[in-house]
Amino acid sequence: MASHCLPARQVPQHFRIHTDTTDFFRIEYGDVILLGGKPYLIRHNAKELRFGLEDEVKFWVKRAVDLSDGSLKIIKLVFRERFISRIGGIEFECFRSPRKEARILTRVAHNKNFMHGFSIEDEKGNLVRVLDFIQGQPLSYSVGSMECDHQTYFYQYFPLILDRFIECIEAIHFLHQQGEKHGDIRRDHILIERDSGEYRWIDFDYNYRHVENIYGYDLFGLGNILAFLVGKGDLRLPDLKKQGHPALSQLSQDDENIVFGNRIVNVRKIYPYIPQALNRVLMHFSKGANWFYEKTGQLLQDLHECKNSR
Amino acid sequence: MDNNEVLNRNILIAVDDSDNSRRAVSYVARLLGGIKGFKVTILHVIPQPEDDFFPASAEKQQWLSEYRARVDTVLEGYRQILIREGFEPTALSLRSTLRYCPSIAECILLESGEMDYGTIVVGRKGRSRSEEFLFGSVSNKIVSHARNCTVWVVE
Repeated sequence: MASHCLPARQVPQHFRIHTDTTDFFRIEYGDVILLGGKPYLIRHNAKELRFGLEDEVKFWVKRAVDLSDGSLKIIKLVFRERFISRIGGIEFECFRSPRKEARILTRVAHNKNFMHGFSIEDEKGNLVRVLDFIQGQPLSYSVGSMECDHQTYFYQYFPLILDRFIECIEAIHFLHQQGEKHGDIRRDHILIERDSGEYRWIDFDYNYRHVENIYGYDLFGLGNILAFLVGKGDLRLPDLKKQGHPALSQLSQDDENIVFGNRIVNVRKIYPYIPQALNRVLMHFSKGANWFYEKTGQLLQDLHECKNSR
Repeated sequence: MDNNEVLNRNILIAVDDSDNSRRAVSYVARLLGGIKGFKVTILHVIPQPEDDFFPASAEKQQWLSEYRARVDTVLEGYRQILIREGFEPTALSLRSTLRYCPSIAECILLESGEMDYGTIVVGRKGRSRSEEFLFGSVSNKIVSHARNCTVWVVE
């Protein structure tokens, strides 16, 4: 089977076959995992991008080849963790749940804006997720690496990017309507599929213990991505200071991201051609906001109005 | 208000184990202790964690029984505060209820709606604006969503 899917020099002479995936450290390159009778040939461990740091190896996430048809898969093995997360000095309890991700995979099986796959138990009852490999780059990389100036970006590329991102917000709205959170909304958790150009959410095994507003943290993530997309990157106060940016004298605390004080969300003060309506949406994520979004539907409604007025 | 209208003297104090809840209970105790006719229910909504939070149901049961024991102690402590300030023990009741709460405020209001309470009392946590943005505020939501009753927010 392996010889149909791999170049001859890459086909191992012997395979170690795993039916119990509990100890994922033991499952290495060239091993085979048997799930529901199907063999998956393990290639590399996945890595998670960490800003400014060496990528983190995720030993429980394996790239694999489905030996029955040669398709590429990502196999996520069971790894539970519970920890206190801290952003901007605010602490909250987070946990990783294979069951949550498995459930959402079923719910979004027909939604083009999510990764697709299925879950299956190994012989020890570990809930393994078998995901279709998405060929493409993270949204963060795609936007961050564009070499044009901001004005060119904003008029030539941003309208399509915004349309695609609105589809992503609609996808999250769909989740919320089902009572589910994404749990870890970040710009590197949207992959842009190479062939179709579709934006697709990945990694929904994270969850957080909410307090009053169940979707607040997801909305915060969406706001951060929106600000990143409008600004063609983070507009960090230290960078603006380093550049001696002329807008510095007009900036106040009210213009800063409500949680990350060193990021400016009042993008119009930096780039005056940003439409007022769009900037107003961003300002709901600022320290100066007098009203916060509680539901994705509210954010979507405002963004649709921005689109209609352009 | 119609002068002949009979005042509803049933009070619901919604609490957790925080200092601000203790302040809310103390406030009611000092304000109304010794005055006949008031009935107070001290309510704690146990926010049921999502099933995903626990690897197995046994862990969930253990978490719940530990939580309940802790809540019983806290509620009894609040009851004693009210008794010390002059409330009759028969005028007090304690209630803890396990609910899945996308919004704790809505759960409290639901409880309040099921009984006939004239006043809801809550403590204010004093969250920062960024915390309120990320996680919301129970007291603010109760203030904006409560109907047919008075809300006291104690700081």
